[in-house]
Amino acid sequence: MKDKIDDLEKNMFPSDGTGLKPYEWMVRPTAQTQWIDDKGLFLWLAFFSSEIGAGLYFMSLFHEYRPGIILGWLITLILGGTIHVLYLGNPFRAWRMIMKPNTSELSRGVWIIGIFALLGFFQMTSQGGFNIVFNFIMGILCLLIISHGFVTMNVIRALPAWSSTMVLPLSLISGIWVGSQLLQMMFVMGGSGVLASGMEVWAKVFFLIYLICVLLYVWGTYHADKIAKESIVIQLKGKLSQIFYIGVGGVGLVIPALLILIMWEGNINGFLLFLRLIAVLVGDLALRYTIMKSAVYKPLF
Amino acid sequence: MPRWGMVIDVKRCIACWGCTIACKEEHFLPPGVFWNRILIGETGKFPSSRKLIYPILCNHCSDAACVEACPTGATYVRVDGIVAVDDKKCVGCRACLVSCPYQQRTYYDQTVKDREYFPGQGKTAMELIGEKLYPFKLGTVIKCNFCMERLEEGMKKGLVPGRDEDASPACVNICPVNARIFGDLDDPDSVVSRLIMEKKGKQLKKEFGTEPAVYYID
Ligand code: SF4
Ligand code: SF4
Repeated sequence: MKDKIDDLEKNMFPSDGTGLKPYEWMVRPTAQTQWIDDKGLFLWLAFFSSEIGAGLYFMSLFHEYRPGIILGWLITLILGGTIHVLYLGNPFRAWRMIMKPNTSELSRGVWIIGIFALLGFFQMTSQGGFNIVFNFIMGILCLLIISHGFVTMNVIRALPAWSSTMVLPLSLISGIWVGSQLLQMMFVMGGSGVLASGMEVWAKVFFLIYLICVLLYVWGTYHADKIAKESIVIQLKGKLSQIFYIGVGGVGLVIPALLILIMWEGNINGFLLFLRLIAVLVGDLALRYTIMKSAVYKPLF
Repeated sequence: MPRWGMVIDVKRCIACWGCTIACKEEHFLPPGVFWNRILIGETGKFPSSRKLIYPILCNHCSDAACVEACPTGATYVRVDGIVAVDDKKCVGCRACLVSCPYQQRTYYDQTVKDREYFPGQGKTAMELIGEKLYPFKLGTVIKCNFCMERLEEGMKKGLVPGRDEDASPACVNICPVNARIFGDLDDPDSVVSRLIMEKKGKQLKKEFGTEPAVYYID
Protein backbone atom coordinates (compact mmCIF):
# COMPACT_ATOMS: atom_id res chain seq x y z
CA MET A 1 0.00 0.00 0.00
CA LYS A 2 2.81 2.37 0.97
CA ASP A 3 4.45 1.75 -2.43
CA LYS A 4 1.21 2.64 -4.16
CA ILE A 5 0.92 5.87 -2.20
CA ASP A 6 4.55 6.72 -3.02
CA ASP A 7 3.89 6.02 -6.72
CA LEU A 8 0.84 8.21 -6.69
CA GLU A 9 2.71 11.01 -4.98
CA LYS A 10 5.55 10.78 -7.51
CA ASN A 11 3.01 10.94 -10.33
CA MET A 12 1.09 13.87 -8.94
CA PHE A 13 4.09 15.83 -7.80
CA PRO A 14 7.05 14.80 -10.01
CA SER A 15 10.48 15.87 -8.88
CA ASP A 16 11.11 17.89 -12.06
CA GLY A 17 9.94 21.18 -10.58
CA THR A 18 6.37 20.83 -11.76
CA GLY A 19 6.15 18.56 -8.76
CA LEU A 20 6.13 20.91 -5.82
CA LYS A 21 3.00 20.34 -3.86
CA PRO A 22 0.68 23.27 -4.51
CA TYR A 23 0.86 24.46 -0.93
CA GLU A 24 4.66 24.36 -0.90
CA TRP A 25 4.90 26.73 -3.83
CA MET A 26 6.85 29.87 -2.97
CA VAL A 27 6.85 29.07 0.76
CA ARG A 28 10.63 28.63 0.74
CA PRO A 29 13.31 29.45 -1.85
CA THR A 30 12.82 27.07 -4.76
CA ALA A 31 15.44 26.26 -7.35
CA GLN A 32 15.04 26.88 -11.04
CA THR A 33 15.33 23.53 -12.81
CA GLN A 34 14.38 24.15 -16.42
CA TRP A 35 17.73 25.54 -17.48
CA ILE A 36 19.90 22.90 -15.85
CA ASP A 37 18.04 19.62 -15.25
CA ASP A 38 17.16 16.99 -17.85
CA LYS A 39 17.22 18.67 -21.27
CA GLY A 40 18.35 21.86 -19.54
CA LEU A 41 21.81 20.26 -19.35
CA PHE A 42 22.07 20.90 -23.09
CA LEU A 43 21.74 24.59 -22.46
CA TRP A 44 24.58 24.48 -19.93
CA LEU A 45 26.77 22.69 -22.50
CA ALA A 46 25.63 24.98 -25.32
CA PHE A 47 26.54 28.16 -23.42
CA PHE A 48 29.89 26.57 -22.52
CA SER A 49 30.68 25.51 -26.11
CA SER A 50 29.86 28.91 -27.54
CA GLU A 51 32.00 30.50 -24.86
CA ILE A 52 35.10 28.38 -25.45
CA GLY A 53 34.79 28.60 -29.24
CA ALA A 54 34.47 32.38 -29.18
CA GLY A 55 37.26 32.57 -26.57
CA LEU A 56 39.62 30.66 -28.84
CA TYR A 57 38.66 32.81 -31.83
CA PHE A 58 39.21 35.96 -29.78
CA MET A 59 42.68 34.94 -28.62
CA SER A 60 43.64 33.73 -32.11
CA LEU A 61 42.89 37.20 -33.50
CA PHE A 62 45.83 38.64 -31.55
CA HIS A 63 48.16 36.17 -33.23
CA GLU A 64 46.31 36.21 -36.56
CA TYR A 65 46.39 32.44 -36.25
CA ARG A 66 44.10 30.92 -38.87
CA PRO A 67 43.82 27.34 -37.45
CA GLY A 68 42.71 28.90 -34.13
CA ILE A 69 39.97 30.98 -35.67
CA ILE A 70 38.80 28.05 -37.80
CA LEU A 71 38.55 25.77 -34.77
CA GLY A 72 36.94 28.52 -32.66
CA TRP A 73 34.42 29.21 -35.41
CA LEU A 74 33.58 25.50 -35.72
CA ILE A 75 33.23 24.96 -31.97
CA THR A 76 30.95 27.99 -31.62
CA LEU A 77 28.73 27.15 -34.55
CA ILE A 78 28.77 23.40 -34.99
CA LEU A 79 29.12 22.28 -31.39
CA GLY A 80 27.31 25.22 -29.75
CA GLY A 81 24.66 25.33 -32.47
CA THR A 82 23.98 21.58 -32.41
CA ILE A 83 23.65 21.51 -28.65
CA HIS A 84 21.33 24.52 -28.72
CA VAL A 85 19.16 22.68 -31.25
CA LEU A 86 19.19 19.56 -29.05
CA TYR A 87 17.87 21.70 -26.22
CA LEU A 88 15.09 23.18 -28.34
CA GLY A 89 14.36 19.79 -29.87
CA ASN A 90 13.63 21.17 -33.33
CA PRO A 91 16.13 22.85 -35.73
CA PHE A 92 13.47 25.01 -37.37
CA ARG A 93 12.53 26.62 -34.11
CA ALA A 94 15.54 28.95 -33.93
CA TRP A 95 14.26 30.71 -37.06
CA ARG A 96 11.39 32.16 -35.09
CA MET A 97 13.88 33.87 -32.79
CA ILE A 98 15.66 35.45 -35.76
CA MET A 99 12.42 37.04 -36.88
CA LYS A 100 12.11 38.99 -33.61
CA PRO A 101 15.51 40.56 -32.86
CA ASN A 102 13.96 43.30 -30.75
CA THR A 103 12.23 41.01 -28.29
CA SER A 104 14.84 39.62 -25.93
CA GLU A 105 18.43 38.80 -25.11
CA LEU A 106 18.05 35.30 -26.55
CA SER A 107 16.99 36.51 -30.00
CA ARG A 108 19.70 39.16 -30.05
CA GLY A 109 22.16 36.35 -29.26
CA VAL A 110 20.97 34.36 -32.27
CA TRP A 111 21.57 37.42 -34.46
CA ILE A 112 25.05 37.97 -33.07
CA ILE A 113 25.93 34.33 -33.70
CA GLY A 114 24.56 34.66 -37.25
CA ILE A 115 26.69 37.74 -37.98
CA PHE A 116 29.71 36.06 -36.37
CA ALA A 117 29.18 33.01 -38.61
CA LEU A 118 29.07 35.12 -41.76
CA LEU A 119 31.91 37.54 -41.02
CA GLY A 120 34.03 34.76 -39.51
CA PHE A 121 33.66 32.77 -42.69
CA PHE A 122 34.87 35.76 -44.75
CA GLN A 123 37.81 36.29 -42.41
CA MET A 124 38.85 32.66 -42.61
CA THR A 125 38.61 32.42 -46.36
CA SER A 126 39.83 35.82 -47.58
CA GLN A 127 43.48 36.74 -47.99
CA GLY A 128 43.36 40.16 -46.36
CA GLY A 129 41.02 39.00 -43.59
CA PHE A 130 43.33 39.97 -40.76
CA ASN A 131 43.18 43.74 -41.03
CA ILE A 132 42.70 45.93 -37.99
CA VAL A 133 39.07 46.84 -38.72
CA PHE A 134 38.01 43.24 -39.33
CA ASN A 135 39.89 42.05 -36.24
CA PHE A 136 38.26 44.74 -34.13
CA ILE A 137 34.74 43.84 -35.32
CA MET A 138 35.34 40.13 -34.84
CA GLY A 139 36.83 40.80 -31.39
CA ILE A 140 33.67 42.62 -30.31
CA LEU A 141 31.47 39.84 -31.71
CA CYS A 142 33.54 37.23 -29.85
CA LEU A 143 33.16 39.10 -26.56
CA LEU A 144 29.40 39.32 -27.13
CA ILE A 145 29.20 35.58 -27.80
CA ILE A 146 31.42 34.72 -24.83
CA SER A 147 29.10 36.62 -22.53
CA HIS A 148 25.87 35.66 -24.32
CA GLY A 149 24.92 32.80 -21.97
CA PHE A 150 25.50 34.74 -18.80
CA VAL A 151 23.91 37.91 -20.23
CA THR A 152 20.78 35.89 -20.99
CA MET A 153 20.79 34.72 -17.37
CA ASN A 154 21.83 38.11 -16.00
CA VAL A 155 18.70 39.89 -17.25
CA ILE A 156 16.42 37.46 -15.38
CA ARG A 157 15.35 39.56 -12.42
CA ALA A 158 13.50 36.68 -10.78
CA LEU A 159 16.75 34.91 -9.90
CA PRO A 160 18.95 37.28 -7.90
CA ALA A 161 22.00 35.00 -8.04
CA TRP A 162 22.08 35.47 -11.81
CA SER A 163 21.52 39.21 -11.64
CA SER A 164 24.71 39.63 -9.63
CA THR A 165 26.97 42.36 -11.05
CA MET A 166 29.96 40.01 -11.13
CA VAL A 167 28.30 37.50 -13.46
CA LEU A 168 29.28 39.43 -16.60
CA PRO A 169 32.94 40.12 -15.85
CA LEU A 170 33.25 36.52 -14.71
CA SER A 171 31.84 35.19 -17.97
CA LEU A 172 34.14 37.40 -20.05
CA ILE A 173 37.31 36.46 -18.25
CA SER A 174 36.43 32.77 -18.13
CA GLY A 175 35.91 32.76 -21.93
CA ILE A 176 39.22 34.53 -22.49
CA TRP A 177 41.04 32.30 -19.99
CA VAL A 178 39.74 29.07 -21.54
CA GLY A 179 40.34 30.43 -25.07
CA SER A 180 43.94 31.33 -24.25
CA GLN A 181 44.57 27.84 -22.87
CA LEU A 182 43.16 26.22 -25.99
CA LEU A 183 45.30 28.43 -28.20
CA GLN A 184 48.43 27.73 -26.18
CA MET A 185 47.79 24.00 -26.58
CA MET A 186 47.29 24.45 -30.32
CA PHE A 187 50.64 26.25 -30.55
CA VAL A 188 52.34 23.36 -28.75
CA MET A 189 50.68 20.79 -30.99
CA GLY A 190 51.54 22.84 -34.09
CA GLY A 191 55.21 22.96 -33.07
CA SER A 192 55.22 26.70 -32.28
CA GLY A 193 56.96 26.32 -28.92
CA VAL A 194 58.16 29.92 -28.83
CA LEU A 195 54.66 31.28 -29.25
CA ALA A 196 53.31 28.86 -26.62
CA SER A 197 56.04 29.87 -24.22
CA GLY A 198 55.32 33.56 -24.85
CA MET A 199 51.69 33.02 -23.94
CA GLU A 200 52.64 31.82 -20.47
CA VAL A 201 52.87 35.44 -19.28
CA TRP A 202 49.25 35.92 -20.32
CA ALA A 203 48.27 32.68 -18.61
CA LYS A 204 49.45 34.17 -15.30
CA VAL A 205 47.54 37.40 -15.90
CA PHE A 206 44.32 35.76 -17.05
CA PHE A 207 44.38 33.22 -14.26
CA LEU A 208 44.83 35.93 -11.65
CA ILE A 209 41.92 37.97 -13.04
CA TYR A 210 39.79 34.82 -13.23
CA LEU A 211 40.58 33.95 -9.62
CA ILE A 212 39.71 37.48 -8.46
CA CYS A 213 36.45 37.41 -10.43
CA VAL A 214 35.41 34.05 -8.91
CA LEU A 215 36.12 35.37 -5.41
CA LEU A 216 34.33 38.65 -6.11
CA TYR A 217 31.36 36.77 -7.56
CA VAL A 218 31.04 34.66 -4.40
CA TRP A 219 31.57 37.60 -2.07
CA GLY A 220 29.41 40.05 -4.03
CA THR A 221 26.51 37.67 -4.53
CA TYR A 222 26.62 36.60 -0.88
CA HIS A 223 26.23 40.22 0.16
CA ALA A 224 23.80 41.26 -2.59
CA ASP A 225 20.53 40.19 -0.96
CA LYS A 226 18.95 37.44 1.11
CA ILE A 227 17.99 35.24 -1.83
CA ALA A 228 21.25 35.67 -3.71
CA LYS A 229 22.98 34.74 -0.46
CA GLU A 230 20.87 31.58 -0.32
CA SER A 231 22.33 30.53 -3.70
CA ILE A 232 25.89 31.01 -2.46
CA VAL A 233 25.07 29.02 0.68
CA ILE A 234 23.84 26.18 -1.57
CA GLN A 235 27.17 26.36 -3.44
CA LEU A 236 29.38 26.52 -0.39
CA LYS A 237 27.52 24.48 2.20
CA GLY A 238 24.58 22.83 0.47
CA LYS A 239 24.12 20.10 -2.09
CA LEU A 240 26.49 21.73 -4.58
CA SER A 241 29.39 22.09 -2.17
CA GLN A 242 31.26 19.02 -3.48
CA ILE A 243 31.09 20.27 -7.07
CA PHE A 244 32.10 23.73 -5.92
CA TYR A 245 35.08 22.73 -3.80
CA ILE A 246 36.34 19.89 -5.99
CA GLY A 247 35.32 21.14 -9.44
CA VAL A 248 35.59 24.92 -9.19
CA GLY A 249 38.13 25.19 -6.36
CA GLY A 250 40.34 22.12 -6.68
CA VAL A 251 40.32 21.40 -10.40
CA GLY A 252 39.56 24.86 -11.76
CA LEU A 253 41.74 26.97 -9.47
CA VAL A 254 44.26 24.98 -7.41
CA ILE A 255 45.57 22.69 -10.18
CA PRO A 256 46.05 25.53 -12.73
CA ALA A 257 47.69 27.62 -9.99
CA LEU A 258 50.14 24.82 -9.20
CA LEU A 259 50.91 24.26 -12.88
CA ILE A 260 51.49 27.98 -13.38
CA LEU A 261 53.95 27.93 -10.50
CA ILE A 262 55.73 24.86 -11.89
CA MET A 263 56.12 26.59 -15.29
CA TRP A 264 56.76 30.01 -13.75
CA GLU A 265 60.06 30.61 -15.54
CA GLY A 266 58.41 30.07 -18.93
CA ASN A 267 59.85 26.55 -19.27
CA ILE A 268 56.63 25.08 -20.58
CA ASN A 269 55.88 21.39 -20.91
CA GLY A 270 53.33 19.97 -23.36
CA PHE A 271 51.93 17.44 -20.92
CA LEU A 272 51.56 19.97 -18.11
CA LEU A 273 49.88 22.41 -20.50
CA PHE A 274 47.48 19.66 -21.54
CA LEU A 275 46.72 18.89 -17.88
CA ARG A 276 46.10 22.57 -17.21
CA LEU A 277 43.79 22.85 -20.21
CA ILE A 278 41.69 19.90 -18.99
CA ALA A 279 41.59 21.36 -15.48
CA VAL A 280 40.52 24.77 -16.80
CA LEU A 281 37.77 23.24 -18.95
CA VAL A 282 36.45 21.10 -16.10
CA GLY A 283 36.64 24.03 -13.67
CA ASP A 284 34.74 26.28 -16.04
CA LEU A 285 32.05 23.65 -16.59
CA ALA A 286 31.74 23.16 -12.84
CA LEU A 287 31.51 26.90 -12.22
CA ARG A 288 28.76 27.32 -14.82
CA TYR A 289 26.93 24.32 -13.43
CA THR A 290 26.95 25.60 -9.85
CA ILE A 291 25.85 29.08 -10.90
CA MET A 292 23.00 27.72 -13.02
CA LYS A 293 21.93 25.07 -10.54
CA SER A 294 22.02 27.16 -7.38
CA ALA A 295 19.70 29.93 -8.57
CA VAL A 296 16.60 30.12 -6.40
CA TYR A 297 13.38 32.09 -6.50
CA LYS A 298 12.30 34.36 -3.71
CA PRO A 299 9.55 32.87 -1.57
CA LEU A 300 6.46 34.86 -0.74
CA PHE A 301 6.80 35.01 3.03
CA MET B 1 -11.23 48.33 -23.81
CA PRO B 2 -11.30 46.77 -20.32
CA ARG B 3 -8.16 45.59 -18.53
CA TRP B 4 -9.04 42.44 -16.67
CA GLY B 5 -7.82 41.88 -13.18
CA MET B 6 -8.63 40.03 -10.00
CA VAL B 7 -8.91 40.83 -6.34
CA ILE B 8 -8.43 38.04 -3.82
CA ASP B 9 -9.64 38.49 -0.27
CA VAL B 10 -7.25 36.39 1.79
CA LYS B 11 -9.35 36.79 4.92
CA ARG B 12 -12.25 35.08 3.22
CA CYS B 13 -10.29 32.23 1.66
CA ILE B 14 -10.77 28.99 3.58
CA ALA B 15 -8.25 26.97 1.54
CA CYS B 16 -10.88 24.58 0.22
CA TRP B 17 -8.87 24.07 -3.03
CA GLY B 18 -12.04 24.55 -5.07
CA CYS B 19 -10.29 26.99 -7.43
CA THR B 20 -7.37 24.61 -7.97
CA ILE B 21 -9.71 21.79 -8.95
CA ALA B 22 -12.08 23.94 -11.01
CA CYS B 23 -9.10 25.22 -12.99
CA LYS B 24 -7.80 21.70 -13.59
CA GLU B 25 -11.24 20.67 -14.78
CA GLU B 26 -11.75 23.71 -17.00
CA HIS B 27 -8.44 23.27 -18.81
CA PHE B 28 -8.02 19.49 -18.42
CA LEU B 29 -4.63 19.98 -16.82
CA PRO B 30 -2.52 16.81 -16.51
CA PRO B 31 -1.20 15.53 -13.16
CA GLY B 32 1.42 17.79 -11.64
CA VAL B 33 0.29 20.87 -13.56
CA PHE B 34 -1.39 23.63 -11.59
CA TRP B 35 -2.48 27.01 -12.86
CA ASN B 36 -3.97 27.79 -9.49
CA ARG B 37 -2.35 26.99 -6.19
CA ILE B 38 -3.08 27.62 -2.56
CA LEU B 39 -0.02 28.70 -0.73
CA ILE B 40 -0.08 28.07 2.99
CA GLY B 41 2.62 29.67 5.08
CA GLU B 42 3.34 31.04 8.48
CA THR B 43 4.93 34.20 9.78
CA GLY B 44 6.16 35.02 13.25
CA LYS B 45 6.81 32.68 16.17
CA PHE B 46 4.35 30.95 18.48
CA PRO B 47 2.30 32.29 20.26
CA SER B 48 2.17 35.32 17.97
CA SER B 49 2.49 33.34 14.73
CA ARG B 50 0.06 33.90 11.87
CA LYS B 51 -1.10 31.40 9.33
CA LEU B 52 -1.28 32.85 5.84
CA ILE B 53 -3.34 31.47 2.99
CA TYR B 54 -2.72 32.86 -0.46
CA PRO B 55 -4.43 31.57 -3.58
CA ILE B 56 -1.85 32.06 -6.33
CA LEU B 57 -2.25 32.19 -10.09
CA CYS B 58 -0.61 33.97 -13.02
CA ASN B 59 -0.76 37.67 -12.24
CA HIS B 60 -1.23 38.78 -15.84
CA CYS B 61 1.40 41.40 -15.19
CA SER B 62 1.28 44.53 -17.33
CA ASP B 63 5.08 44.72 -17.28
CA ALA B 64 5.51 40.96 -17.39
CA ALA B 65 8.94 39.41 -16.98
CA CYS B 66 7.85 36.51 -19.20
CA VAL B 67 6.95 38.84 -22.08
CA GLU B 68 10.28 40.62 -21.73
CA ALA B 69 12.15 37.31 -21.91
CA CYS B 70 10.30 35.70 -24.81
CA PRO B 71 12.52 35.72 -27.94
CA THR B 72 9.73 35.08 -30.43
CA GLY B 73 6.87 37.25 -29.22
CA ALA B 74 4.88 34.08 -28.46
CA THR B 75 4.13 35.39 -24.98
CA TYR B 76 2.37 38.71 -25.24
CA VAL B 77 0.05 41.06 -23.40
CA ARG B 78 -3.33 41.32 -25.10
CA VAL B 79 -5.17 44.63 -25.28
CA ASP B 80 -7.44 43.44 -22.46
CA GLY B 81 -4.39 42.88 -20.22
CA ILE B 82 -4.41 39.08 -20.38
CA VAL B 83 -0.93 37.61 -20.82
CA ALA B 84 -1.30 34.84 -23.37
CA VAL B 85 0.94 32.35 -25.17
CA ASP B 86 0.64 31.79 -28.91
CA ASP B 87 1.65 28.15 -29.21
CA LYS B 88 2.30 28.52 -32.95
CA LYS B 89 5.11 30.96 -32.22
CA CYS B 90 6.49 29.32 -29.06
CA VAL B 91 9.84 27.56 -29.55
CA GLY B 92 9.97 26.00 -26.11
CA CYS B 93 13.10 27.84 -24.98
CA ARG B 94 11.57 28.30 -21.49
CA ALA B 95 13.06 31.75 -21.00
CA CYS B 96 9.61 32.89 -19.88
CA LEU B 97 9.33 30.03 -17.44
CA VAL B 98 12.65 30.80 -15.81
CA SER B 99 11.93 34.55 -15.77
CA CYS B 100 8.56 34.49 -14.02
CA PRO B 101 9.16 35.54 -10.40
CA TYR B 102 5.91 33.81 -9.46
CA GLN B 103 6.82 30.46 -11.07
CA GLN B 104 3.51 30.25 -12.87
CA ARG B 105 4.49 28.50 -16.07
CA THR B 106 4.83 24.85 -17.06
CA TYR B 107 6.70 23.29 -19.94
CA TYR B 108 4.40 20.86 -21.69
CA ASP B 109 6.36 17.95 -23.12
CA GLN B 110 5.76 14.26 -23.75
CA THR B 111 6.52 13.35 -20.12
CA VAL B 112 3.84 15.71 -18.87
CA LYS B 113 1.42 14.57 -21.57
CA ASP B 114 1.93 10.90 -20.71
CA ARG B 115 1.14 11.28 -17.03
CA GLU B 116 -2.01 9.48 -15.92
CA TYR B 117 -4.19 10.35 -12.97
CA PHE B 118 -4.27 6.65 -12.14
CA PRO B 119 -0.72 5.53 -12.91
CA GLY B 120 -0.46 2.30 -14.83
CA GLN B 121 -4.19 2.05 -15.40
CA GLY B 122 -4.40 4.08 -18.61
CA LYS B 123 -6.00 7.44 -19.13
CA THR B 124 -9.56 7.97 -17.98
CA ALA B 125 -12.27 9.03 -20.44
CA MET B 126 -12.09 12.51 -18.94
CA GLU B 127 -8.36 12.77 -19.65
CA LEU B 128 -8.81 11.53 -23.22
CA ILE B 129 -11.65 13.95 -23.92
CA GLY B 130 -9.52 16.73 -22.46
CA GLU B 131 -6.75 16.04 -24.95
CA LYS B 132 -9.25 16.54 -27.76
CA LEU B 133 -11.24 19.45 -26.37
CA TYR B 134 -8.39 21.45 -24.91
CA PRO B 135 -5.21 20.30 -26.63
CA PHE B 136 -1.82 21.67 -25.68
CA LYS B 137 1.02 21.74 -28.17
CA LEU B 138 4.02 19.60 -27.26
CA GLY B 139 7.23 21.49 -26.57
CA THR B 140 5.53 24.73 -25.59
CA VAL B 141 4.92 26.55 -22.35
CA ILE B 142 1.45 26.71 -20.81
CA LYS B 143 -0.05 28.86 -18.09
CA CYS B 144 -3.25 30.39 -16.68
CA ASN B 145 -5.06 32.48 -19.28
CA PHE B 146 -7.77 33.99 -17.05
CA CYS B 147 -10.14 31.58 -18.86
CA MET B 148 -10.00 33.88 -21.87
CA GLU B 149 -12.11 31.52 -23.97
CA ARG B 150 -14.94 31.73 -21.41
CA LEU B 151 -14.62 35.50 -21.29
CA GLU B 152 -14.74 35.84 -25.06
CA GLU B 153 -17.66 33.44 -25.51
CA GLY B 154 -19.58 35.10 -22.70
CA MET B 155 -19.01 38.60 -23.99
CA LYS B 156 -20.21 37.55 -27.45
CA LYS B 157 -23.50 36.72 -25.73
CA GLY B 158 -23.58 40.13 -24.09
CA LEU B 159 -22.57 38.84 -20.65
CA VAL B 160 -20.29 40.76 -18.31
CA PRO B 161 -17.09 39.16 -16.99
CA GLY B 162 -16.99 39.21 -13.22
CA ARG B 163 -20.76 39.47 -12.98
CA ASP B 164 -22.05 36.63 -15.13
CA GLU B 165 -20.73 33.13 -14.52
CA ASP B 166 -20.58 32.22 -18.19
CA ALA B 167 -18.19 35.09 -18.82
CA SER B 168 -16.01 34.71 -15.72
CA PRO B 169 -12.99 32.56 -14.87
CA ALA B 170 -13.76 29.11 -13.45
CA CYS B 171 -11.87 29.80 -10.22
CA VAL B 172 -14.01 32.86 -9.56
CA ASN B 173 -17.25 30.95 -10.18
CA ILE B 174 -16.39 28.03 -7.94
CA CYS B 175 -15.23 30.02 -4.89
CA PRO B 176 -17.79 29.26 -2.14
CA VAL B 177 -16.90 32.32 -0.08
CA ASN B 178 -16.53 34.85 -2.91
CA ALA B 179 -12.88 35.38 -2.05
CA ARG B 180 -12.14 36.02 -5.74
CA ILE B 181 -13.56 39.04 -7.50
CA PHE B 182 -12.96 39.60 -11.20
CA GLY B 183 -13.43 42.76 -13.21
CA ASP B 184 -12.12 45.73 -15.14
CA LEU B 185 -9.17 47.48 -13.51
CA ASP B 186 -9.44 50.44 -15.88
CA ASP B 187 -12.99 51.24 -14.78
CA PRO B 188 -12.74 53.27 -11.57
CA ASP B 189 -16.29 52.29 -10.64
CA SER B 190 -15.81 48.52 -11.02
CA VAL B 191 -15.98 46.38 -7.88
CA VAL B 192 -12.33 45.38 -8.28
CA SER B 193 -11.12 48.99 -8.60
CA ARG B 194 -13.14 50.07 -5.57
CA LEU B 195 -11.90 47.18 -3.45
CA ILE B 196 -8.29 47.92 -4.38
CA MET B 197 -8.79 51.58 -3.46
CA GLU B 198 -10.74 51.05 -0.26
CA LYS B 199 -8.84 48.07 1.12
CA LYS B 200 -5.43 49.07 -0.22
CA GLY B 201 -4.96 46.06 -2.46
CA LYS B 202 -1.45 44.65 -2.50
CA GLN B 203 0.41 43.08 -5.39
CA LEU B 204 2.76 40.16 -4.80
CA LYS B 205 6.51 40.67 -5.11
CA LYS B 206 6.07 44.27 -6.16
CA GLU B 207 9.83 44.74 -6.05
CA PHE B 208 10.22 42.90 -9.36
CA GLY B 209 8.39 45.72 -11.11
CA THR B 210 6.05 43.41 -13.02
CA GLU B 211 2.83 45.31 -12.19
CA PRO B 212 0.55 42.34 -11.46
CA ALA B 213 -3.16 42.56 -12.27
CA VAL B 214 -3.99 40.33 -9.31
CA TYR B 215 -4.41 42.19 -6.02
CA TYR B 216 -4.71 40.83 -2.49
CA ILE B 217 -6.80 42.39 0.27
CA ASP B 218 -7.36 41.41 3.86
S1 SF4 C 1 2.84 36.00 -13.23
FE1 SF4 C 1 4.59 35.25 -14.38
S2 SF4 C 1 3.69 34.20 -16.14
FE2 SF4 C 1 2.09 35.49 -15.29
S3 SF4 C 1 2.27 37.42 -16.45
FE3 SF4 C 1 3.46 37.69 -14.57
S4 SF4 C 1 5.55 37.14 -15.18
FE4 SF4 C 1 4.17 36.30 -16.76
S1 SF4 D 1 9.09 29.02 -24.24
FE1 SF4 D 1 7.78 29.90 -25.83
S2 SF4 D 1 6.59 31.48 -24.81
FE2 SF4 D 1 8.31 30.96 -23.48
S3 SF4 D 1 9.94 32.42 -23.97
FE3 SF4 D 1 10.32 30.61 -25.24
S4 SF4 D 1 9.23 31.04 -27.14
FE4 SF4 D 1 8.42 32.49 -25.64
